[in-house]
Amino acid sequence: MKKLFGMIIFVAFVLVLGACSSDSSGEGDSGESDSGKEELTAWAWNINVPVLEMAAEKFEEENPDFKLNVVEMGTSDVYSKLTTGLQAGGKGLPDIVLVEDDRFQGYINTFPDAFANLSEMGFDEQKSKFPDYKTELLTKDGAMYGFPFDGGPTGVFYRRDIFNEAGVTPEDIKTWDDFIEAGKTIKDKTGKDMIGLDLNGDDGLYRMMLTQQGTFYFDDEGEVNLASDESKKAMEITKELKDAGIVKNTVGWDPWISAMTEGDVATAPSGAWLYGSITQQGKDTSGKWGVFKLPAFEEGGNRASNLGGSNYVIMSASDQKEKAYDFMEYFSTTNEVQVEAMEGGLFPSLNTVYDNEIFKQEVEFFDNQKIWEMFAGEMENIPAVNYTGDYAVAKDEAVKAQSKIVNGTPIEEALENAVKTLKNRTQ
Amino acid sequence: MTHTKRFPYLFIAPAVILFCIFTVYPIISSFILSFQEMEGGQYVFAGLENYKRLLNDSIFWTALKNTFLIFIIQVPIMIILAMVLASTLNSQLLKLKGFFRVSFFLPAVTSLVAYSILFKIMLQEEGLFNNLFMMVGMDPIPWLSDPFWAKASIIMAMTWRWTGYNMVIFLAALQNISEDLYEAASLDGAGKIRKFFYITVPQLKPVILFAAILSTIGTLQLFDEPYNLTEGGPADSTMTLGLYIYQSGFEYFEFGYASAIAYTVVIIVAILSFIQFKVAGDDK
Repeated sequence: MKKLFGMIIFVAFVLVLGACSSDSSGEGDSGESDSGKEELTAWAWNINVPVLEMAAEKFEEENPDFKLNVVEMGTSDVYSKLTTGLQAGGKGLPDIVLVEDDRFQGYINTFPDAFANLSEMGFDEQKSKFPDYKTELLTKDGAMYGFPFDGGPTGVFYRRDIFNEAGVTPEDIKTWDDFIEAGKTIKDKTGKDMIGLDLNGDDGLYRMMLTQQGTFYFDDEGEVNLASDESKKAMEITKELKDAGIVKNTVGWDPWISAMTEGDVATAPSGAWLYGSITQQGKDTSGKWGVFKLPAFEEGGNRASNLGGSNYVIMSASDQKEKAYDFMEYFSTTNEVQVEAMEGGLFPSLNTVYDNEIFKQEVEFFDNQKIWEMFAGEMENIPAVNYTGDYAVAKDEAVKAQSKIVNGTPIEEALENAVKTLKNRTQ
Repeated sequence: MTHTKRFPYLFIAPAVILFCIFTVYPIISSFILSFQEMEGGQYVFAGLENYKRLLNDSIFWTALKNTFLIFIIQVPIMIILAMVLASTLNSQLLKLKGFFRVSFFLPAVTSLVAYSILFKIMLQEEGLFNNLFMMVGMDPIPWLSDPFWAKASIIMAMTWRWTGYNMVIFLAALQNISEDLYEAASLDGAGKIRKFFYITVPQLKPVILFAAILSTIGTLQLFDEPYNLTEGGPADSTMTLGLYIYQSGFEYFEFGYASAIAYTVVIIVAILSFIQFKVAGDDK
C-alpha cells in the first residue's frame, strides 16, 4: 500500500514537471490557436499594447488567417527576456519585439543574426517615408533591421501659470543662456525651481543637447566623443543650471513627473511622449501648460532634437517571418494606424501622417496651443547621431562624469577621465 | 527486497534532478562561460582574458571596495543589534513577547524590491525622513545623491531588513543555553552585563559564526538594495559586485565577463568563510 502511494506521488510529480516544461516552451513559439490559425506573438509595453492590438484587429479583417497575441511586459522585462532568449540561441522568443532607439544598436552588434533583414524583404521602398535619423539608426551594413515607429521630438514643456506669475515670456527664451536667466527670474519671483533633474542617475538633458548639436557619445566614425566641444558645452549648461540654484533634485521618474504636475518646477525639457504622462497624472492642470522648442546654443542655432522613441523588429528565429513582415509593414506605413498611435500618446515618425488634421488641432490641455504641429515640424531637422553598440556603457560613463561635474570636478578633467575609462571598457 | 532498496532513490530523484538542472548545470556552464568571449554573436574561447581584464577594471575594484565597506560596517552593527534584541526578547520579565518577536521579524518576510522602493520614497529630498528632520530644525540630508549618504542609506535599509532575521537565529540558540549556567553565575555574584559577556556570548559562538558567514555571503551578493535605491550611483559610490555582475551581463551583454566576476566572488566568499572559521577557532 505504501509503495503504491509513493508511486502515485512520484508519477504525479513527474507529470506536473512535464506539464510545466511543455507550457513554458510553448509560450514563445507561435502555437496553434483554437480556431486553427497560426498565431503570432509580440512583446510590447505600456501604451504601445492597445495600439498594436487595434492594428492587428484591423489587419485581421483583411487577412483572416492572421492572429496576433500581444504580451504586455514592463520595458526592462522585455529587454531582460530578449537578452536571455538571444543568449540561449533564440529560444523562447516571440515573432515581433518593440525595441527603443538607443538599445537597438547594442542588440544588433552583440547578436548580428538576431533580427530579420528587412531590406531583403522589401522594406527599402518605404524608407523615404521616415526621417533619416530613424532609418540610419536601424541600418547595419546597408540593410535595415527594424520598422521605425514612434519618435521623441523634443520641446520644453512649461507651466504657463508659473511663467505668468514671474512675468517670463517663453518666446524670449531663444538660447540656453536665456533659459538660465529666465530660471533665475522665476526663482526670484516665485521661489520655484526652473527644472527637475536627476543629476546622479540620468543624463537625459545632456543627451538631448548632444543630439541637438548633431553628435553623441560617439562620433560618426564610432570614436569616443565625450570630450568634444559639443559635450563640454552641454555639460557647462548643466553645471550653470545647478550652480544658479534653479535645479530641483528629482531622483527617478515619479518624483520628476509629480514635480511638474504639482507645480514645483516650471519646465521639463523632454520628448513629445511626455504629453502622455502629464495629461494622465495632471488631469486637474489642464490649460496650464505650454511647449516651446529647445533653446539653441547660439541665437539662430538648431532647436530640434530627439529623446527616446522606439521601433519594431522581427526575430530571425521566428518561423513566420513573412507574415510578421506583412503585418508590421502595414502597421508602420498606414496613416490610419499611426493616427491611432498618436491619439494614444505615441508620436509617429511616419511622415505621410503629418498632413492629417490631428496635427493641426489646438490642444486644450496646452491652452489651445498647436503642439503637434510644432513637433511634426521638428522631425525633418533632427540630426542623425551614432548610438553604437556601446551605448549602455557610454551612458554609464556620461552619467558618472555629470555627477562628478556638478559635485565640483572641473568639466575638462571629468570628461577626459570618462573618455579614458570608456575607451578601456569598449576595447 | 530489491524494490525496497531502489525505492528511496525514487523519492529523492525529483530533488536530485531539479538540483542538477537548476544548480549544477548553471555552475558548470557559467564556469566555462567565464573563459569565453562573444565575437560577432558567437562565443569563442578567450583563455584568461576576462580575468586579466578584471584586474585592470577600476569599476570592479570600486565595487569590491564598496562591498567590503558596507560589509565591515553593516554586518557587525546588525549582529550586535540582533544579539541585544534577542537577549532582551528572551527575558522572563518581558510581556507581549510574541508581538515583539513577530514585529522585529516582519521586515525579513517583506519583498526585497518592495522594501527598497519604500525606502527610496522615504529617502527622497522631500521624503519622510527629511520632513521629520526639518520639523525639528535640522538640515535635510541628501540621502541618495551624496556618495557618503548613499552608502549610509543602503546600510540603514539592510540593517532594517535583516536584523530581525538574525535575531530569530539567536533567539533559537538562546533557548538552548542551560539555565544552570546563569544560576551558578548569579550565586557567584555576576551581574546582568557580566552574564551576557561571559555566558551568553561564548555560548552563542557557533551561532554567531553561522550568522556572520550567512551575512558575509549575503553582503557579497548584495544587489536588490543598490539596484532599486541608487542604481549604483552617485558615480559608482554604491556599485556592488552583485550589481556589476548584473549590469555586465544584461546591460552590456558581456556574459563571459559577468561570469568571471561571479567566480571571483565565489573565491572571495570561500576565503572569507575559511578565515571566519579559523578566527572563531572551532574546537572540533
